[in-house]
Amino acid sequence: MSFRLLPAVAVLAVFAAALAALFRWSLLEFVPGSLQPGGLTLANFRAVLAPQYVGAIRDTVVLSALTTVLTLVCAYPVAYALARTASRRVRSLILVLTLAPFFTGAIVRTYAWVLVLGNTVVTWPVPMLFTERGVLVGLVHFSMPTMILILAAALSHIDPVYERAAASLGASPAHVFRRVTLPLSMPGIVSGGLIVFAWTLSAFPTPELLGGGKVKMIANVVKDLGLDSFNWPGAAAFALLALALTLALLTLVGRLSSDRAA
Amino acid sequence: MTTAVVELRGCTRDYGAVRAVDALDLAVHEGEFLALLGPSGCGKTTTLNLVAGFVEPTAGRVLIDGEDVTGRPPHLRGLGVVFQSYALFPHLSVRENVAFGLRERRMAAAEIERRVGDALELVRLEPAGRQRPSELSGGMQQRVALARALVYRPRVLLLDEPLAALDKKLREGMRDELRTIHRSVGITTIFVTHDQAEALGLADRIAVMNRGRIEQLGPPREIYERPATRFVADFIGASTVLRGRAVAADRVVVAGGTLHVGGRALRAGADVELAIRPERLRLVAAAGDNVLDARVEGLVYQGAQTEVTARLGDGQRVLVFVGEPAPVPLAVGQTLRLFLPGEAFMVLDDR
Amino acid sequence: MLRLAVVLLLAFMTLPTVVVVAVSFNPTAILSFPPAGLSLRWYANVLTYPQFQRAALNSVLVTGMAVALALPAGTLAALALERGRLRGRHVWAALFLSPLVVPGVAAGLGFLILAAALGLLRSRAVLVAAHVALVLPFVVRSVWVSVRNLDPALERAAASLGATPWRAFRRVTLPLLRPGLFAGLLFAVVVSLNEFVVSLFISNRVTEILPVAMFTYVVNYTDPTIAALSSLFIAATFVVVWLADRYLDLGRVFLRR
Repeated sequence: MSFRLLPAVAVLAVFAAALAALFRWSLLEFVPGSLQPGGLTLANFRAVLAPQYVGAIRDTVVLSALTTVLTLVCAYPVAYALARTASRRVRSLILVLTLAPFFTGAIVRTYAWVLVLGNTVVTWPVPMLFTERGVLVGLVHFSMPTMILILAAALSHIDPVYERAAASLGASPAHVFRRVTLPLSMPGIVSGGLIVFAWTLSAFPTPELLGGGKVKMIANVVKDLGLDSFNWPGAAAFALLALALTLALLTLVGRLSSDRAA
Repeated sequence: MTTAVVELRGCTRDYGAVRAVDALDLAVHEGEFLALLGPSGCGKTTTLNLVAGFVEPTAGRVLIDGEDVTGRPPHLRGLGVVFQSYALFPHLSVRENVAFGLRERRMAAAEIERRVGDALELVRLEPAGRQRPSELSGGMQQRVALARALVYRPRVLLLDEPLAALDKKLREGMRDELRTIHRSVGITTIFVTHDQAEALGLADRIAVMNRGRIEQLGPPREIYERPATRFVADFIGASTVLRGRAVAADRVVVAGGTLHVGGRALRAGADVELAIRPERLRLVAAAGDNVLDARVEGLVYQGAQTEVTARLGDGQRVLVFVGEPAPVPLAVGQTLRLFLPGEAFMVLDDR
Repeated sequence: MLRLAVVLLLAFMTLPTVVVVAVSFNPTAILSFPPAGLSLRWYANVLTYPQFQRAALNSVLVTGMAVALALPAGTLAALALERGRLRGRHVWAALFLSPLVVPGVAAGLGFLILAAALGLLRSRAVLVAAHVALVLPFVVRSVWVSVRNLDPALERAAASLGATPWRAFRRVTLPLLRPGLFAGLLFAVVVSLNEFVVSLFISNRVTEILPVAMFTYVVNYTDPTIAALSSLFIAATFVVVWLADRYLDLGRVFLRR
């Protein structure tokens, strides 16, 4: 191993120690009213599937799936324009508008949606704030920059000559898209979709602020248990569930992209 | 005998299971221009890197001026290197690039100034000193790279395919320029190339490399006219290799005809391989000594000559260059009578 | 058709930003849109609210220290990844990027438990350690791209001209890595300044950084103070992104063209 890796390895070691602590506590017994845990137990993982939490897990998966699909649909046209525009000006404009929310941070962005969804700007025909609908809008907005960048990267790898070839063979623009562009951008769609899904599974600030305590996703449960009830073992088990789901999905992304490379 | 300026003794270099250079011995003499010539993957660039110190030998020693420099890092070897990609520093101007080695040698500013000016003059690039390398044409970049490598008067100049990135016209101009510069500076030079025309036109001696070994080492004329192995005969110029059986010390039977072969004495009854350059064959009217018949299979008209592929009676193929205008009209299927002069044959080592 | 869709979608992307800025000038504590007048009182509120002052100072401290540690560590790692004689290069690369994929609540709770075990619950050290790990992937990635675009012959050329490895690094490698280092620095600063979830777990009223203070404020109050602070954030971010695009050509960074 090169000595140049040592500082970075030290950083990772601290990070690994934190995850190890999390793992250890997930196996310790929670003693209500005390920060001292009891002996070894699997009770925390059994509690994850208790009736009061199953709803949160189901909501998380459903919201994440909906977010993924909606984000894909909304991000595709923007990504296409970004990858295909000839003008550097337009490209810069789209990039800046896309990246700015990426750089503004979760709290500012989520607070902005509190304002928009909270009947200050327009009066919504149906309640938005503190509902799953509102959380969904916030999650889609949150996932857009990532998805746009992944799709645009995939699209910019497609030589426009294929599209011209399809047109010369008599395909209408719609057919060119369906039979050539879309299939060729499939790698980006799959990895973008999986990454957004994985990220959304552990989303925290959006459901916390836009859900207002009425919509709970896995991460909110972790925060409630860990920071409000001081049930660190229970929170640790939930956090590991989120970690496991994320890792499983991202392993799938890696597997798929290395299959394509082979 | 004078000591060699650069000497490799039994140098071997392995990359994992691949042997790039195999027990190579090579001595380069004072003021000599030596070309390492071979196809890609033959080990010529690795050999150059062994001299430069970018790669250390797995076994063997590298000597410069008789001194063992194996294991000495490149910055202490005092050589000049021109890279295939030129490797001009993109963040420095032309002058700063050329001055780089002088500054590493902690030379006084005035001296640096003077030497950089001289070096740029040598390569006729004085006006471009303030520009960035990326603003120059390929040929100009090449000359900057040369000036940068020569300016601190290194003991040896190493050139790694320096002309490969240039287009044909520029390449020929640069070839002449390299020769002129070598003559005026007189520096010992090792030159890596896969282009035989470059090697034949520039080098005092050529080392033809194949599979990490030197197949033949000698002056260009000797390499071209007396290739020692089939590989060299194939790689340098076009040639036809004919298989036959020796019937006497100077006589070989090929395709039913008898050929008188000059040069080395053959062992009667042995199978031999003879190589002949296509420009040495001649069309004749009458049968006689050293004349074989062949049926034309292909014609490629090239202006000054026509390349004729023909087949002998026993199926062996011969390549003939017929100067234009051709003495007889050429057509596919026609039978030609070929005269193969005995002194034009090269007897190949049996390997 | 496509153009209209793109414009509408970009409007969707920008809508919250516009609303936040508009609301920040609202003269009353009750939010209304469009605002009934213009007022800077919420900006004054931001600048005088003691908890924001304290949190801003914490942000500067934590981000400054985290970036100062992560930049050299990540740069060395990127150099080793591309240039070192390294076995399992891909495994190392994946490891250095791994903090990116760990959910914030998992990392946050892990650091909280670790801090409690070490008796560091009231210390900024844990915050800094967590931020270093979280920004490291961005530094490694940005610098790695630059290292990969660097022709290895340039370092060899410097060596052949007599430069020691250290001098070659100083005079050739480092100047050519500047864009990558700058991009890494930019990402690290932005990510650290905006980090929220992990920091929420491991900070208290004394050590908390700006996003955590803002979160607490949003949960407890409804006046437009946060809109004003957000607007300041947004303005700063736009300037940074615009500068980055101008000098780094973000299209090249993200689209690999």
